[in-house]
Amino acid sequence: MIKIQTVVLTALIVAGSIFSANAQDASAILKKMDDVMYSPKDMTGKNKIILIDKANKQEIREATIQQKGNDKRIFRFTAPASQSGIAVLSLPDDIMYLYLPAFGKERRIATSAKNQNFAGTDFSYEDMESVLFSVKYTPKLVKTEGNVYTLELTPIGDKSDYSKVMVQVNRTDYYPELMEYYDKGNTKVKEAKYTFKKIGNYWNAAEIEMTDLKKNHKTKMQMSDVKYDTGLTDDDLTVRKLKQ
Amino acid sequence: MMEKLSRIIIKLKWIIVASVLALTIFFGYQSKFLTINSDILSSLPDDDPAASLYKTIGTQFGGNDMGMIVLESDNVFKTEILQHIKQITDSLRYTDGVSTVTSLTNILDIKSSEWGIEIGKLVDEHNLPNKQSQLDSLKNYVFSKEMYKGAIVSEDGTASVVMFTLLPDADKQAVAKEIKSKIKNLNLPETLYFGGLPMMMNDISDLILADIVWLLPIVFVIIALILLLSFKSFRGVLLPLLTACIAVIWTIGIMVVTGYELTIISNIIPVVLLAVGSAYPIHVLNNINHTLGKDRKQILIKALAYIMVPVFLAAVTTAMGFISFVFGAYLTMIKDFGIFTAVGTLIALLLSIFFVPALISAFSMYGKKVETDQPEKENILTHKILQPIVTLLFKHPKYSLTAWGILLLLSIGGMFFLKTSVNMADYFKKDNPTRISEDVMQKKFGGSLPIFVVFEGDLQSPDVLKMMIKTEHFMKNDPNIDMTQSVADLVEQMNEAMGEGKMIPDDKAKIEQLWFLLNGQDVMTQLVSEDLDKGIIQSRFASVDSKNINEFTSKMNKFIQENNRENIKIELTGMPSVYVKLNNSLIQSQYSSLILAIIMVLLLVGLMLRSISKGVYATIPIIATIMILFGFMGITGIPLDIATVLVGSIALGIGIDYSIHFITGFNFYLKETGDAEKAIEKTILISGKAIIINVISVAAGFLVLIFSQIVPLQNFGILVALSMFGSGIGAITLLPIILILANRKRKIVANNH
Repeated sequence: MIKIQTVVLTALIVAGSIFSANAQDASAILKKMDDVMYSPKDMTGKNKIILIDKANKQEIREATIQQKGNDKRIFRFTAPASQSGIAVLSLPDDIMYLYLPAFGKERRIATSAKNQNFAGTDFSYEDMESVLFSVKYTPKLVKTEGNVYTLELTPIGDKSDYSKVMVQVNRTDYYPELMEYYDKGNTKVKEAKYTFKKIGNYWNAAEIEMTDLKKNHKTKMQMSDVKYDTGLTDDDLTVRKLKQ
Repeated sequence: MMEKLSRIIIKLKWIIVASVLALTIFFGYQSKFLTINSDILSSLPDDDPAASLYKTIGTQFGGNDMGMIVLESDNVFKTEILQHIKQITDSLRYTDGVSTVTSLTNILDIKSSEWGIEIGKLVDEHNLPNKQSQLDSLKNYVFSKEMYKGAIVSEDGTASVVMFTLLPDADKQAVAKEIKSKIKNLNLPETLYFGGLPMMMNDISDLILADIVWLLPIVFVIIALILLLSFKSFRGVLLPLLTACIAVIWTIGIMVVTGYELTIISNIIPVVLLAVGSAYPIHVLNNINHTLGKDRKQILIKALAYIMVPVFLAAVTTAMGFISFVFGAYLTMIKDFGIFTAVGTLIALLLSIFFVPALISAFSMYGKKVETDQPEKENILTHKILQPIVTLLFKHPKYSLTAWGILLLLSIGGMFFLKTSVNMADYFKKDNPTRISEDVMQKKFGGSLPIFVVFEGDLQSPDVLKMMIKTEHFMKNDPNIDMTQSVADLVEQMNEAMGEGKMIPDDKAKIEQLWFLLNGQDVMTQLVSEDLDKGIIQSRFASVDSKNINEFTSKMNKFIQENNRENIKIELTGMPSVYVKLNNSLIQSQYSSLILAIIMVLLLVGLMLRSISKGVYATIPIIATIMILFGFMGITGIPLDIATVLVGSIALGIGIDYSIHFITGFNFYLKETGDAEKAIEKTILISGKAIIINVISVAAGFLVLIFSQIVPLQNFGILVALSMFGSGIGAITLLPIILILANRKRKIVANNH
């Protein structure tokens, strides 16, 4: 009798732990990915945005980035000349300010439409927000293969434009390698390829290549001159600083 | 020579029958692959600038083919209704082949407030307003902006429209069908209307297909019954119908093999060919019945030798009538229709001359020979109709001619009232849902006819944008334009949001920076080209009246001419421009194709009969018929449209046959008897019989189209039937009157050929 009970109990525990292991694993993997992506206190660097249309024609924009924590950021365009000086300040709770040098004034902008693309790139405002993945999505481990975990992320709540995001996470270093975005019709609409490089103690997304599969249009965002933890303060990320 | 050919045909009967069978199997198999293209836009000619610009817009600005779904309720500003609009928007968005979708729940909105700009959606689709206060403020805001009022929500607030464009290379009919079934499956409680060209074309082609499926068998049965009554023999029914059917199968097979698709015009080819193709065997059979002789084979050869020339002439002239569309028509689908009906007619000719006699000979279908002494006396047709006609005409030729004259004068009067119609909505009956939808679109949302004004130049330059605004103001002066949309509007709104007034900034740098924010908005790809060297004003025209459309386009073209300059090139296109061209071409092509057809027929008949005067005589009944046709259309108010425009040439092509049979009969009997009056009498009695059988069978076949669900097809049926009666009666009355009078003036003598 005792034997049987033990067997059953053991089986139950094993089964349960396998079950929860999966759930825990998926959340743990996603947490680790968030850690890799969002751990620096601050970051500065140069950003090059390359837009590539279906005829393979390229358009290049350049900007500098200053970021503090996960939710304060200034994007300042330096090229092309017509856009030079345009700056966007993002603050927590979707607050954004825009500075247009030709007008010499800033305006607060609200983008209630997160599925709209940011400044002609293939990144939507939703793709650009720096909210932790583990806050926005419920993960499920779909498979472990080669050097990647494949997670299926389901948006929490109904605010997202996506029905799911499939992420391939590097098994050794926990940075994402590929994200595939599905629309509500469950069609894959976008795809982001990540290239990470280690700079100091942190992993840096040296290049993100986002492809809009419907429009056959691509955006590459390349980072250079990246510096971490240079001691940016909240004062560096204010409306007043936008104008400079 | 004809006899020699006849002998060869009889000799090779088995080869002929076998090859017809083989080809029929081959083409029958091919016709399985026939596809239907109901897209009228693909039929616009490339050599017309307005039409080709219209097509270019389709590829450059995410679709020119605009569909609309209207949702109607007592008040659209309710959470559940917004929810339903969102459902419609989403299901359209995720339909393959749909390029863009614009609705109350996803439209771009630029708001300026004291603290800044809000660029976003008019309604947050993920967080629809659900409190009465939110709904009220949405309502007030929508009605305060010209962009939305009457454009996306009707002015009375009871209806909202979801607009969508289709990708130019999509299978539009399939997409329209899918959209309709998807939306219907949502089972929304509100009233829904589907409109716009893609939806209409889908409905038209469904209706035509449904019509053909149940009308074609009826046409078939009616023609069979008439043939049975006329010939009272099995072969008299079988051979004409078999010939017509084989001609239909081959024609469709050839269309597939040469890569053509069935269009909303060419799908009446089967009906036309059934009527036309059965006519030639009727004459062949009629002649065999009337040829005297001992040996059945000899009779066949003799009859065939006689009938070859008139049947050849009849078929070639009919084909010419159809071919004349190729030179005058604006829409390529009308040209295609002309080519393939001509091909089908010639196939029917070949079959009548080769296959019908071969089959008769091969299967000994000679039929029981009627007692030859007085066969005609038994016949009601001869007794009650043809004989009295002979008596009347010979007694009172001048009165008869006067009667015709009065009829023609009336017709000429009627011709002045002839109208044209290119409005697709008119093709549906008044109670058809599509027609009702179009009325709703027109009443509540300024119509469904898209207009595009294309600007070429630097789209970020103040000059170009200011010109766009000026053009929009000019357009809105027209009572039929409710809304216009362009990138210039967005730039103005952005400038206002930056606190510098609702206007285009004079400084290009400012425009470029405002542009930065507009970049990436869905609507931008619909308004400007990727290289920023082309931009469009989108608008809709509320009227489908030819006069309003004409007025608007000529006014616009004048404005464009005055404002075109080196760095700003302006062009107008859209459905109104296309309709103007189509409308003008209806009249022009009608003239040119009729005149062309008449000249071709006159020359051909004159040449074959070696007498120009006989060629002229032959065309008189048909010219009279065409006058009656247009007079009738004018008096009854049946407009010239893309279906009825076909009738004139078809009437000419088929109707001339009767004259040809009459003239050749007259020629033949003139040689036989040497006396013109006797020859005329004999021709009326003998050829007249075949003509009447033919008129009744063709007319009855076409009259079945009265039961069609599409107005132009109904009209088409009535008009062809009218033309058949006109030209048939013309051939056995007007033509003999002229011959009698001409003969009394100067004796007509037989010319040998």
